[in-house]
Amino acid sequence: MRIAGNLLLTLVLIFLIGPFVIICIAGLSGGETLAFPPDGLSLRWVQRVFEVESFRSAFWLSIALAIGSTLLALILGIPAAYALDRYNPPMAETIRNIVTAPIIVPGIIVGLALLRHLVVPLGIPITLALIIGHTALLVPYAVRVVSASLVNLRTDVEEAAVMLGASRLQSFFKVVLPNIRSGILAAFIIGFITSFNQVPISLFLTGPGVTTLPIGMMFYMEFNYDPSVAALSGLLAIMSLAIVMLAEKLLGLSRYV
Amino acid sequence: MTARILLAFSALSLVLGANTASAQDKTLTISVYGIAQDAYKAALYDPFEAKCGCKIVVESGTASERLAKLEVNAAAPTVDVIAFSDANALEAANKDLLAPIDTAKVPNLGEIYDFAKDPLGNGMGVGYTFYGTSIVYRSDLVKIDSWLDLFKPELAGQIALPNITGTQGPITLFMLQKAIGKEDPTFSDAIDLVAEHKDDVVTFYNSGSQLIQLLQQEEVVASVTGRFTWPSLMKLGMPVAWATPKEGQTGGMNVLSIVKGAKDPELAQQFIDYWLSAEVQQKLADGLVDSPVNTKVTLPDDKAEMLTYGADSAESINFLPPAQQLENRDAWLQNWNSKVAN
Amino acid sequence: MFANRRLGILLLAPATLFVLVGFIIPVLILLAGAFRSGDTWTLTNYIDFFGQPLNREVFVRTFRLGLIVTAVSAVIGYGVAMAVVEAGPKSKGRLVAMLVLPLMISPVARTYAWLVILGRTGFVNVALTSIGLTDAPLRILFTETAVFIGLIQLFFPLMVLPLISSLENMPRDVVPAARVLGASWFSVFFKVILPLTREGLVVGGTLVFVGSLTAYVTPAILGGSKVLMLETLLYQRVSVANDFASAAVIAVILIAMSILTNMLLKRLASVRRGR
Repeated sequence: MRIAGNLLLTLVLIFLIGPFVIICIAGLSGGETLAFPPDGLSLRWVQRVFEVESFRSAFWLSIALAIGSTLLALILGIPAAYALDRYNPPMAETIRNIVTAPIIVPGIIVGLALLRHLVVPLGIPITLALIIGHTALLVPYAVRVVSASLVNLRTDVEEAAVMLGASRLQSFFKVVLPNIRSGILAAFIIGFITSFNQVPISLFLTGPGVTTLPIGMMFYMEFNYDPSVAALSGLLAIMSLAIVMLAEKLLGLSRYV
Repeated sequence: MTARILLAFSALSLVLGANTASAQDKTLTISVYGIAQDAYKAALYDPFEAKCGCKIVVESGTASERLAKLEVNAAAPTVDVIAFSDANALEAANKDLLAPIDTAKVPNLGEIYDFAKDPLGNGMGVGYTFYGTSIVYRSDLVKIDSWLDLFKPELAGQIALPNITGTQGPITLFMLQKAIGKEDPTFSDAIDLVAEHKDDVVTFYNSGSQLIQLLQQEEVVASVTGRFTWPSLMKLGMPVAWATPKEGQTGGMNVLSIVKGAKDPELAQQFIDYWLSAEVQQKLADGLVDSPVNTKVTLPDDKAEMLTYGADSAESINFLPPAQQLENRDAWLQNWNSKVAN
Repeated sequence: MFANRRLGILLLAPATLFVLVGFIIPVLILLAGAFRSGDTWTLTNYIDFFGQPLNREVFVRTFRLGLIVTAVSAVIGYGVAMAVVEAGPKSKGRLVAMLVLPLMISPVARTYAWLVILGRTGFVNVALTSIGLTDAPLRILFTETAVFIGLIQLFFPLMVLPLISSLENMPRDVVPAARVLGASWFSVFFKVILPLTREGLVVGGTLVFVGSLTAYVTPAILGGSKVLMLETLLYQRVSVANDFASAAVIAVILIAMSILTNMLLKRLASVRRGR
């Protein structure tokens, strides 16, 4: 039984992770076209990734978007989670449903809805629509993860701080925030990765000069057939690997998923 | 904490602002096919930027996607100049999305072939390149002499066809209908033929480079494509041949149009004029990117061989007039969706 | 619980307003479009949508693939989750990190890899023909099989992680006890393990099922035009034909499925707790 279980586990891990090894190797191809096994080895396509203008601008847009929308989601989500947990707001259940609604709506619908009913009628710039869409998607994560850490933080610590003369605000910043720091960090990492890899929401929210990296990769694939997307995929996989290892080291990510 | 958030936000607005900040200078936003962008940048965008002292912002994608976007953004256009097929352009013109081109502002029109000067007949589009479309096939594995050869039993499960939603799809049906030998502008016999063989078709591809990939990875041994993929196909190092079917070749023309409500029509016309100039057309032809419409372009035989070149080859192509495409498109789509796509 | 309710409302207002204005209202307007034709409220959009054989086919295919992917992930998921739990706390962290890793990598990169692997000259076909299992290369790309493989890889971690935590929360000695009492492995699984881990299965099942229904990248790249699913159909309807009525109908279907599945999940979970 045990041997069978370990064999299955090994096979599944190969199935899950093997493709990334293959894509990394295909990205090191020396040939003109995507192939495995590759046509000789070289770094030319890795180098090409950094030369393609659209990849570069899309990468920075994606990074800025991921950081911006995650921060915004936390700024909105932390007070909301705190109020839901500590105060007894009217219609708490309704509000909780509202702020976590974005998670159940498929992204492509969000993107289309924002384009048709926010960008076009109100004439807001597409980058702003991207931030709104991504932030809306991340608010539920922020609320959930922060709520989970607040539950573990007993209210009497705050009460004690207030009794000792701290204002509510002070006690929030001095007592609550430091204690839920790792929850916030976890929410940040999850939010960053979710936004950075997001395709469907961004699909309709691209415009001239405004393209996120995953969308840029899909467009590039449609018109080019060289191994540079493989090289870029490999680089992204390595970047993700680094983030996961860092997160595991910092806060034992496996506790949060 | 607050200070750090503020800092992060100002960094963010800096990065995002890169697009808006430059909008204060003169910018021209163009919407083009995504193919060969490096070559266009070197031959066209960079020199034009230097010439006009403006910045070019590029939006790329398939023609139908970009046309749909044009329509969605009609009230506040995001694009100034758009390049797509003549049929796309006529559709856009009919939907009142394009502005007329002032021929006086585009002197290079005098240098281009007559058939490219006003292919829509309404002064809203000028042809910048044209191409023949035929069957490409692995000459070591099969032989193709007719459009109907695509459905020979030995090719079953090894062909790809262009999707009906693109430019190449309808003109492929046009030639199949011609090969069947019955006059019918709704192409119903051709659609029946494809439907009958739909399980033999690996996929209905959406862009030229998808096709290149399919051939390169040996997913297919034959397909239909425009001549613009030929230079890339040659680079595959495979025995690929360009068929000369007995029914002849079809083809198409791509046009440049100015979007209605463009911020700076002057600049847009300047850009179109530059694109049509002998200098740019020569460079694009030398790079095997686009077949030239400018009569002053001369090509050595080996390059002419790769592209669709010259008035004679344009004569020999069976073009499907854009008006006819628009008129029958709904009927094709309806029929295709019920018989082929499911 | 603190008393100052006004402060509570103040803290909630930004998030609630943001989600309402920037998300719920635009989405609701879009969904309303599914019930509008001209100026009247109507169901004709649905009749038109399901009148097209292509749309019916895509609808059925999306559900079929969603169910198969969920079922297969569940079966393999139990095996893997048990192996992870049995491996002990020391290796667990590393194994979970390896299972989480694919979730962190761009779906575009993940799907792209399969293009290289499943093609006619790809890794799988080269391996199969070289060991003589097949004469001619198999056609995998642009079939439902390719989409199925891609979806399993994409969503399997979402099934196995809840299963691992359910299995860990199971009382430690029930399985050995049942074994000692003479139960076969088969009946131990169905009579003991399955009921005790139902919550994890339901959570994982919902995530995988809804994820598969609403996947875009995988069917777009691995399925192509011959294996459309609801999301790729939606994109195509909008980007090629500006057909917002069909898009709204698909949106209603997807959201309704997503909400129904989530409600079912809550119901199942609470029935269990209530017992």
